[in-house]
Amino acid sequence: MDRGRDDTSADHQSGNESQFSRRDFVRIGTVAGAGSTALLQACATRPLEPATGVEDSGWDYEADVVIAGAGCAGLTAAIRARDLGATVLVVDQNFDVGGRMLHSGSFLSLGGGDPIQLRDMKGESDPEGFVTVPPAEDPEELDDNPDLLFTDITDWSIVDRKAQSPYRYNEPELMRAWADNCPATRQFLMDNYVRFSRISGTHGGGGLSRARGALCFLMLGDRTDMKAGTVTLEDAGMADPERTSPFAPVQMFDASRAVGPNAVGNGVALSRPLEFSAREKGVEFMLHRRFEEIVREQPFSGRVVGIRARYSPRRHPETDEVMQSHWRNGNIDEQREVVNIRARKAVILASGGHAGNPEVRSMFYPAMREPAFPTSGSALLGPHGQDATALIAGLRVGANLAGMQQNLSYSTTFHISTRLGTRDAYTGMMPGHPTFGFRGSAGINVGRAGFEEFIVVNQVGKRFFNEIRLPQRPGLNRYPGDGGAPNRGLDHVPLDWRNCRKEWIREMYDYDHGLDAALALNEGSEPPHYYSGPLWAIFDQDTIERTGWELRFPYVADNGYFFQADTIERLAAKIEAGHEFQRVPLKYLAETVATWNGYVESGSDPEFEREVDGLMNPIATPPFYALSVMVVWHDSYGGLRVNGSQQVVDMQGQPIPGLYAGGEAVGGFNKHGLGKAHVHGYIAGTYAAADSAEGRA
Amino acid sequence: MSSGVDVKRGGVFTARARGAYRPVMRAVCGAVALGLVGAPTAIAQQAEDAGPRVRGEQLYRSDCALCHGESGEGRPPTFPALSGNPALEDLSHVVIRIWEGQGTMPPFPDLSTEEVSAVAGYVRNAWENDFGPVSSEEAAAALAGLAEAGSRTSVWDGVFTASQAERGQTVYPGACGTCHGRRLNGAPDDPDMVSTPPLARAKFLRTWEGRSLAALFEYTRATMPENNPGSLTDEEYIDVIAHMLSVSGIPTGDDALEPDPHSLARVVIERRPQEEAEGAAGG
Repeated sequence: MDRGRDDTSADHQSGNESQFSRRDFVRIGTVAGAGSTALLQACATRPLEPATGVEDSGWDYEADVVIAGAGCAGLTAAIRARDLGATVLVVDQNFDVGGRMLHSGSFLSLGGGDPIQLRDMKGESDPEGFVTVPPAEDPEELDDNPDLLFTDITDWSIVDRKAQSPYRYNEPELMRAWADNCPATRQFLMDNYVRFSRISGTHGGGGLSRARGALCFLMLGDRTDMKAGTVTLEDAGMADPERTSPFAPVQMFDASRAVGPNAVGNGVALSRPLEFSAREKGVEFMLHRRFEEIVREQPFSGRVVGIRARYSPRRHPETDEVMQSHWRNGNIDEQREVVNIRARKAVILASGGHAGNPEVRSMFYPAMREPAFPTSGSALLGPHGQDATALIAGLRVGANLAGMQQNLSYSTTFHISTRLGTRDAYTGMMPGHPTFGFRGSAGINVGRAGFEEFIVVNQVGKRFFNEIRLPQRPGLNRYPGDGGAPNRGLDHVPLDWRNCRKEWIREMYDYDHGLDAALALNEGSEPPHYYSGPLWAIFDQDTIERTGWELRFPYVADNGYFFQADTIERLAAKIEAGHEFQRVPLKYLAETVATWNGYVESGSDPEFEREVDGLMNPIATPPFYALSVMVVWHDSYGGLRVNGSQQVVDMQGQPIPGLYAGGEAVGGFNKHGLGKAHVHGYIAGTYAAADSAEGRA
Repeated sequence: MSSGVDVKRGGVFTARARGAYRPVMRAVCGAVALGLVGAPTAIAQQAEDAGPRVRGEQLYRSDCALCHGESGEGRPPTFPALSGNPALEDLSHVVIRIWEGQGTMPPFPDLSTEEVSAVAGYVRNAWENDFGPVSSEEAAAALAGLAEAGSRTSVWDGVFTASQAERGQTVYPGACGTCHGRRLNGAPDDPDMVSTPPLARAKFLRTWEGRSLAALFEYTRATMPENNPGSLTDEEYIDVIAHMLSVSGIPTGDDALEPDPHSLARVVIERRPQEEAEGAAGG
């Protein structure tokens, strides 16, 4: 078997969804070796082919500000630049707008004394009166300012429960700009139909010292109306517990405790309002179009004057028709293979990170070259999601990188998911969204407690770690004692050596390296890549009786991520025959199960000491089951280096004129999720709209 | 005294009874983990005949340490520290508090006078404490005149109603489901959130086995929802508990659970119906 063994590039991942030729590069005429490693030497003024909208050059389109990526950074930048008078064209490789913002939980940690912090401090409601529950945090826990926020996110001393310091390596200028622009960004989002719940805690690395995290909500209503802030039960994906909608890739959840009755939340309540506002304001979108190259006047000098983008049609998994975005006003229908788009003022790269590109992510962890493990949202985003386009294109015009080692420092970069039985193990997408067919199953989220119920084996059928400890994720940053975080008290000292002295680390260290055991070399690892292979949870019928797991569609399906057989030997054979990345036989599986059953009998697991952590149950009652266990690499914390204006900086430390970047395309900022990218987009949109060949206004 | 419970305590989980307990399932983010402290099942039967101090320590670890900590450190301000707590000076106060409960402290009417004196004596003299022993006679004197507790029942005896569980089901998603998951299995829907303890089915019952619903009710009310403890009404808390029991496969009955610690203290959480447990023990 040779499946998935050699092709690890993003192009391989694309499968049937992307079949493009290289001939259009050649037509530009100046490319030295048109392969993916060639440096782009395009001349912006050379005629290419008949232009459709631009008179005198090879440009096919032009706009003041051209943005690659319609996710949280790109969409925010687009609206901001449009507000400031620029014409804006956004390209995105997907068929719909929103990127991973759309499937997110919408927890948005900003801070610095932002309008929602102030609102909750005063105990006020929102202007529409939707927020009826009292604030969750005490006023002193919300008392924030940009200086405090800046101190938090550049604190060299604070460590997480893996003893890593996530903020130590942050780029100071980027952090200062972010802290300063948090309040304005919160207001900006609210001005564009985004509604925020009460703040509760802080989310994913936006500093610990104050409560900063609110989530976004809509109200259930009889129509879906972003201006009114309402969504129907059907559009919210909540009418049927096992079905979602094209509007909401992931079912919205009950947000009543953080807002009031009938409030529902998740990334849909953030992404759709912003998209609606962008379209209303005249932002144009060219979907199914993957940004590929930056066009600069000279390879390593001069202004960035545009981008080149390639047709990347996303076809419906069942009908094979090109899928359509939920809203279409402002869409440009363009099907030529390659188009050149001129940016009169600036280009903003907001096309995401590199978590979906095994070759790039292997720069930081060679074991992550394993293609069996995709990034989050692989069904929603398709093969080009998070494929490192911005990083690769940026390098070709001389950009520097930042924070690459920061990939290794937080629980959302990569971890073992507790959602089993699906390749796309990050979200619980249900049928009803058109991309569900790309995953085939929602998976079943068993939580950490579920890992007490089975054994986990590697690609040769051997156990490799104490299963109960396998899905552990490193805990968040922690000041000594119980101080320094909302609801734990605010008694802490930033920038203090006691925050990282070994006595404190010994006390609070709490991480088992099961993830690394899962990615380790094993008997099935073969040169040249030494892939570790897929992981399988193995259990029996009694497990089902104990847990109540419902092993049926849509949770599992006959899609290569769930197997059932009457004997262990047959189960092993089915996995080998039916899973795309199972390259070797699970030759030890039957022996492993027999050994395990002996351990259960004796009450002792000498290999991994399972008896210490929980009950041990035999795997003896047929039928026997196997569910895939996935490693999910979600975030990218390394990426293009930018300055405080979100301008991309080159290897000489100089800003590249006309080129901006934000979100996960950018490195040097350890913060999970939305709060980072929206502020980046706000800053980039602000400066890009004022940029020109004569320099920034 | 409820010997049935104690027999099960000693008989079911030998691995834990060997003293192998460790709080490994600690939830992160400062989460208050329901599974943080070993279940009462961790207590070995064989030491029951040992001296009062050993028995007191057993009882402390099974019934008290969940809130007051393995070393009496508590979790102030919600759960007071016992180590170095001057309120332990007053012997009758301690004894009555254990028996009757007060505020967040649930009553423990299942304890015999000897057991009350053992655990009172333990907390008064463990760690840094040196407040002197407590005899059974002193405990009996302190408890004299207090009302006799009602009869003990099991959660399997039809202690909540179907409509109560349904009410709890409507409260659950917003109040609890964000962190504990829509299936009550400790798996949050938001994939960026870490797992939490399950609130239903086998694992949940195992964790809480031997404790009373009063302990569960007071613990939940004092600590949950984690970001705003105590923000539900008492009725909502007890309705959610009924929902948790219902999802665990426990049958409904004719009477609803009341949010009253004294009546809840008489309802013991068991892993399975008594007749099944006896059958298993016999087999």
